[in-house]
Amino acid sequence: MGSNFMDNLKEYFHIAWRNLKTRSLRSWLTIFGIVIGVFLIISLLSLSEGIKATITKQLRALGGEMVFVMPGDISNPIAMFMSGAKLEREDIDAIKNTKGVETVLTMSYQAAVVRYGDEGKAVFLQAMSWKESIEILENFQGWSLKEGRWPVSGKREIIIGKQIENDLFDKPVRVNSEVTIKGRKLTVVGILNSLGSKQDDTAIYLDLSIYQDITGEKKGTAQMVMVKIKEGGDVNGVAEDIKENLQKTRKRRSGTDAEDFSVITSEKMGDIAGSILAVIQLAIFAFASIAIIVGGIGITNTMFTSVRERTKEIGIMKAIGAKNSAVLMIFLFEAGIIGLAGGIGGTVLGTFLAKAIELYGQVHPLFYFSASVTPNLIIFGLVFSFLVGCLSGLLPARRASRLKPVEALRRYE
Amino acid sequence: MPEPIIKLEDVWKTYLLGKVELHALKGINLDINPGSFVTIMGPSGSGKSTLLNIVGVLDSPTKGRILLEGIDIATLSEDDLSQLRGKTIGFIFQEFNLLPNLSALENVMLPMVFQETPLEKRIARAKEILTAVDLGNRIYHQPTELSGGERQRVAIARAFANDPKVVIADEPTGNLDSSTGKKIMEILTEFHRRKGKTIIVVTHDPNIASYSQELVYIKDGQIVSNHKQAEKVLWQR
Repeated sequence: MGSNFMDNLKEYFHIAWRNLKTRSLRSWLTIFGIVIGVFLIISLLSLSEGIKATITKQLRALGGEMVFVMPGDISNPIAMFMSGAKLEREDIDAIKNTKGVETVLTMSYQAAVVRYGDEGKAVFLQAMSWKESIEILENFQGWSLKEGRWPVSGKREIIIGKQIENDLFDKPVRVNSEVTIKGRKLTVVGILNSLGSKQDDTAIYLDLSIYQDITGEKKGTAQMVMVKIKEGGDVNGVAEDIKENLQKTRKRRSGTDAEDFSVITSEKMGDIAGSILAVIQLAIFAFASIAIIVGGIGITNTMFTSVRERTKEIGIMKAIGAKNSAVLMIFLFEAGIIGLAGGIGGTVLGTFLAKAIELYGQVHPLFYFSASVTPNLIIFGLVFSFLVGCLSGLLPARRASRLKPVEALRRYE
Repeated sequence: MPEPIIKLEDVWKTYLLGKVELHALKGINLDINPGSFVTIMGPSGSGKSTLLNIVGVLDSPTKGRILLEGIDIATLSEDDLSQLRGKTIGFIFQEFNLLPNLSALENVMLPMVFQETPLEKRIARAKEILTAVDLGNRIYHQPTELSGGERQRVAIARAFANDPKVVIADEPTGNLDSSTGKKIMEILTEFHRRKGKTIIVVTHDPNIASYSQELVYIKDGQIVSNHKQAEKVLWQR
């Protein structure tokens, strides 16, 4: 029974396939809804998965347990980054004086026009309190120099990301080259090995005090603080203490207790990024589902038409001994194949778009994306679309299977 | 007397046309005995198509009993009835009714698919029977690539695929010219004579009826005469 049953399924699939091959264009057009839905799912999910993987990788690269302190409210990231709020000297001292804190790295960043030779390009400047940073960057974040040396604190020296060397300006930038930022001349003393992301490899790194010299940012302030805690310390506990100290400082200074800063651990940072992406993925899924439902209704519609057109064939099959289940399977397979065809189309288009965006990101700085088109995602897309097809075909197929042979044969006579 | 293959006991079939009851069959009693060749004749509207559907267990009666190989079909589920019908009865239709998307071979294999016959056996049997109706060299053709007579021969091959005891033919030559029709009837007679199959033919053509041994004449939903010697009857008319 078992092997015959499988053999029969194969036969029904074969008949369904034959029927589809001779179907009109109208039927094939209905797969378009499924194509669009699966296309959306594959392209957008692979991109958001890729972004997630990149973020996770970067967070992991930070190594160990870190605490980040930023001005503004992390639950409103756009306002936070747009406000340009700073951590003042008192804030930074408060963090430094918190128990359990080992090193405090202060940093600031902005985009600025960098002139080299006759050219000027917008580049992301990242400034750090170099003395404290260098050890952590080397030992925990895997920074290393391709050539040259690290800058000396207080001197007008910069190091550049790997891709700036050859790709940014027409003339390659070398160690000892001079660039001009906001009218000040700075010397390139080192070129970094790749840090693993486009964004990091197209930035310029310099000492915070020099950065504040040339940008006019107030000395001793910072846009962000990274805290390395003492070996074996409790990250969450230290984070709480930092928060408390900052609150006290702020209250003393401005008399309000509005919490306009965020203290988060690297773990929580990952959580936040993850939950934002989860919301985005959910939204993508919702929109794609609508497209697929519409496509599914299209399949149902075309299958009902098909059942009506082929009523007589159904009658013949029943007359020569087809059980209801046989007719049901044949029509379900037809609907499933239509769904699967849509799924294949959508997967191909979706993969194509995702890879195209990824490719664009590789040639365009400041736009780093990786698309994660995994075999699982593709299998999911195909199985899902086949099932959507079958589900959409269920009602028409059931109607077909329940036709009485004599009535089905009499139709069109 | 052997047990009849198909037995109709006081069969009534009533259709409701709006509020009017139309009695297509009025108390039919009929035994189809194994190995017989029966012709059902009658004017249009006499109920012969309805009778054919009932005899072929494609339709169920409003009243009365139908015994297929001694089994009351009212006791069978829809699926079991389909299985039993596919195994016991083969059908030949006036418009051939081949599945247009399948080749001749696949059409002949289909009844065996529904009986879950293993693949190798299906192919061998379908080829054998297509060769028997002289279509051995056209088995991969689609129905649209075949002539009317060839299509009807494929249909005959399909009807005999499961080696059924009974083959029911509804106006099998109605869509064919007379010489092709004659060939079809000869093939049917051949199966009857050589394999001892029971053949039931519905027709209004006396020439076709002349091939059979029994003639059932139906009018206004009732059998008006049932002759064991059809040729003699036709001669007398």
